[in-house]
Amino acid sequence: MNFAGRRRNTLIMIAVAALACALAPLSATWLDTVILTGVFALISLSCGLSFGQAGILSMAQGGFAAIAAYTTAILATRFGLSAWASLALAMFLPAVLAWGLARMVTRMPELATALATLALATLLEVVARSWDKVTGGFVGIAGIPPVAGFEVAWRFNILVWVFVVLAVMFYENLMNSAHGRALNIVRHDRTRAMADGIAVAPLLSSMLATAGAMAGAGGWLYAHYITYMSPQSLDIHVSITALLMAVVGGAGYILGPVLGTFLLSLLGKFLPAQEAQGLFYGGALIVILVVAPQGILGWIDRLMNRERTRAPQRRAGQDEPRAAAKVAP
Amino acid sequence: MSGPVLSARDIRMVFGGVVALEGASIDVKPGRVCGLIGRNGSGKSTLFNCLTGFLKATSGQVLLDGKDITGHAPHEVMRAGVARTFQTPRIDFQTTARDAVLCGLYPQVKHGFLSSLLGLGAARREERQLHARADAVVGRMHMDDWASSQISKLSMGRVRSVEVARAIAADARYLLLDEPAAGIGRDEMKVLAAEIRGLADRGIGVLLVEHNFPLIRMLCEEVTVLDAGAVIFRGTAEGARQDERVKQLYLGAAAAGEAA
Repeated sequence: MNFAGRRRNTLIMIAVAALACALAPLSATWLDTVILTGVFALISLSCGLSFGQAGILSMAQGGFAAIAAYTTAILATRFGLSAWASLALAMFLPAVLAWGLARMVTRMPELATALATLALATLLEVVARSWDKVTGGFVGIAGIPPVAGFEVAWRFNILVWVFVVLAVMFYENLMNSAHGRALNIVRHDRTRAMADGIAVAPLLSSMLATAGAMAGAGGWLYAHYITYMSPQSLDIHVSITALLMAVVGGAGYILGPVLGTFLLSLLGKFLPAQEAQGLFYGGALIVILVVAPQGILGWIDRLMNRERTRAPQRRAGQDEPRAAAKVAP
Repeated sequence: MSGPVLSARDIRMVFGGVVALEGASIDVKPGRVCGLIGRNGSGKSTLFNCLTGFLKATSGQVLLDGKDITGHAPHEVMRAGVARTFQTPRIDFQTTARDAVLCGLYPQVKHGFLSSLLGLGAARREERQLHARADAVVGRMHMDDWASSQISKLSMGRVRSVEVARAIAADARYLLLDEPAAGIGRDEMKVLAAEIRGLADRGIGVLLVEHNFPLIRMLCEEVTVLDAGAVIFRGTAEGARQDERVKQLYLGAAAAGEAA
């Protein structure tokens, strides 16, 4: 019971991932969508961790994924390194960058942090576009080999969802610990956090580095799935979309970003044209902010809480059912 | 000079052109309740914040058991054993009282961020210990009956108790209370007073910044009165009540009313 409570999100995630791996291969187009959903879920989870838990609005998560994707692309095409060998570096580089970024931005107010991370993401894009020798400039890098052993799409799908399950598991571990609680205190009130003896800056750095590594894993998977990487592949659009997916699903809930990614990418499939996507996402954000500011999971949580508080009242009310009947006409 | 004591020496604090503190000193000793009173704007809060590291004094020293902690960051001061509460409770009203106490145990956490993330055995064991310790604090502070209620549903007096429990959870040796009696009723004030007395009896040094003079008289062995950033009186609460200058500057109407 206790185990299930502590691992609830991970268990749900395993069930969802198993379902995704079993059902998606039934159709080739759906398989493609489900794989990309998993990749984006990783980037979106990193937004959930930084924004939902610690209140750091980072617009650079797509940029961290892009760094990882370029790293593995360059290592694979230039140096012939295997995908697995470059995975460590692909997660380490964005983590280090995020660590440094955190040191700079965590003193800033929320909006300034968002703008600073947006500036960093823009800068990364400019570098990717103009550093022809290394990144291939506008043309990008083509012919990235697939991950050995996972060349077939349905197998790669399993690999992607194993990554998502691991990310959720680590995320849940963290949130069940004193450090996770400390992140929530920082989001709620930094002065309170200091009075609790929390060293805010190092804590946020560790958190953002973790989020960076998570996004990096997404970027690594992306590069080896699409087999092509260009400045437009994981641009600022991706950062904003990932954040949006987290907010729609419920950024404060561990599985919120995964739910948001599923909803937006599957529903997006039904749209007539790619151009309508912005309209659709914008609309979804407005609806969510008006109807359920805590995201879909927040909305469900609220409904369940209301049920729970109502249930004991009903039980208590049974002593005098007539009086209750009178109140409710 | 020696022996355990939290003391501020000759603190001078200047905000732009405004002098908030001018050579103020105060000692907080283990096992004693020390009162700090004064009119609004007399520098009480400034001195309080200098002691806890939330402000860095322009000049002067803050000593903790003889060690200079002037200019240390608030979380370092807290970890060194100096806890504080806030005048307006800074607390997440959506959590339970027990969880708030659990948050106060953060300075005792030994495992790192990475071992939490990976869910290593040592980190999980320590987490269980933290929960047990939080329950112990809840029991010691007589909060068992309502510790699992949401804080938003508690009375102000109980919220203050939660704040105190959270502050001392990590074995603080000094506790600085910023107007703990603000906004609570007479009965709850008595409960709070008994709690503060109990903490002092267990050897914690308490500094009480308060406007409520009856509470000060009830609890404090020593009272320091500030005016315009300087100490104008130091002695017993009874002595403060008798002192002409204190009467004139601070107690004024209240003392006159009591005499009548």
